[in-house]
Amino acid sequence: MVVLVYLGAALAVLQGFVGSGLPIQFGASLVSHITGMAAGYGAATMLILMSRAPWLERDVGAHRLARWHAWAGPLVIMLTVVHAIAAVVAWAGATSSDFVGASMGVLNVPGLLTASVGTVILVLIGFSSVRALRRRISYERWHFLHLLTYLAVGLGFAHQLAGPDLAGRRWLQIAWALLYTYAFALVLRWRVFQPLFQLWRHRLRVEQVRQEAPNVMSVLMSGQHLDELRAEPGQFFRWRFLTRETWRSAYPFSLSAPPTRNLLRITIKARGAGTRRLFAIPRGTLVFAEGPYGALTRRRRRRPRVLLIAGGVGITPMRTLFEEIDLPGKDVTLVYRASKEQDLVLKRELDEIAERSGARVVYLVGPSSDAKNDMSAHALNRIVGDLSDHDVYLCGSPRLASRVRDSLMLGGFPRHQLHEERFSF
Amino acid sequence: MSDAALVFGRLFPRIARLSVAVSPSLIRWTLRLVTLLLFVAATAVGVNVGMNAPEIAPTSVVHDDRVASPDP
Repeated sequence: MVVLVYLGAALAVLQGFVGSGLPIQFGASLVSHITGMAAGYGAATMLILMSRAPWLERDVGAHRLARWHAWAGPLVIMLTVVHAIAAVVAWAGATSSDFVGASMGVLNVPGLLTASVGTVILVLIGFSSVRALRRRISYERWHFLHLLTYLAVGLGFAHQLAGPDLAGRRWLQIAWALLYTYAFALVLRWRVFQPLFQLWRHRLRVEQVRQEAPNVMSVLMSGQHLDELRAEPGQFFRWRFLTRETWRSAYPFSLSAPPTRNLLRITIKARGAGTRRLFAIPRGTLVFAEGPYGALTRRRRRRPRVLLIAGGVGITPMRTLFEEIDLPGKDVTLVYRASKEQDLVLKRELDEIAERSGARVVYLVGPSSDAKNDMSAHALNRIVGDLSDHDVYLCGSPRLASRVRDSLMLGGFPRHQLHEERFSF
Repeated sequence: MSDAALVFGRLFPRIARLSVAVSPSLIRWTLRLVTLLLFVAATAVGVNVGMNAPEIAPTSVVHDDRVASPDP
């Protein structure tokens, strides 16, 4: 699939060269053609990658998709901006006008005003995702801004089809239009229709809200035919609780208990005003669930032993894997890191599972500077014995996850034996 | 929540009752059919849009001739 994506990008760039006219003249016009084609192709690819199509979520994994998105998203925005600036510069050169005059001239071209509005929206989305700004805005606002991407991409579509790289090349125009209609069909199928269908079929409702620890609670949901969801331990859904206060935002939360035919459970930590509102959801609230997603499942296991590493509320997918992983207990170890004893969520359940199955659970509690809480590859190797003989499943805060990942990679741990899920936005 | 959503919420129990009776295999096949129809529609729309796309780019006059020109 990666080869296909790159091949498509190469063809788009090549068409940018061809579209700029032969012989090739280096300058703003060429830059505008190439970046325009690359940005248009990139935008459609991003739509497909984030369409939540099950084959993508299952085979690539939500974590890797999010990583690609975080890498390619800013690139597409940058290409779009460079395309716009280069086009205006080329126009200014061709019309012997200044930058402002050329900008006005460009905006008068049919389809370019809407494309420019789309570009402005994309830039705003890009700014909202810059780390320093992202910390200052709520998840709900960031999520809403991100949804505007569809509008921004739609606004630029007419300009792409009528652009000089595609205009007059009928088969290319058809192929380009199909790329976009298929991308939007995937989004419609899996991000709109599927959750609506699941709402109708499974009638998921909040059954009980239970406090687990300070700022942490579990939500138990009941529904019909939940086995048809084929949710696996370690997977997550994007949950939208249909109350007046909470229906606007979908939150990604892992299942914190193995799913049954009529019950699902998640465990939530309050991180902001939005998640705190979830603590007051009344019993009977309808739940709109997108999923299941994520490749952090037992199917990823290749080695004879497993090490599960959790930090804070990242314990939720690990709790289900700890119970359901298809290995003898002696071959399963869970390392659970928390700052304070009271932050150890679901501890009683973990102890019960460990006692029942013979698996081992290791709690690392206290400041990370404490030597006994070391989570380096060396320390993990000391805990489990032969680390290279393990698949490592990792879920925690971005800081903890990157610390463990970096240490494992530096220690020569094989990349394909590390499976992780991250939910930071 | 919007009015439409509230109306849907009131109607929901009635619509939802239908979901209980339908068998899983019928549901599966219906979903496959819906997916197929959606992509048939996407193909039709894509081909139609591509066929009716402009043959001359509005910006091509400036690009090709290197002269200022109003749009066609």
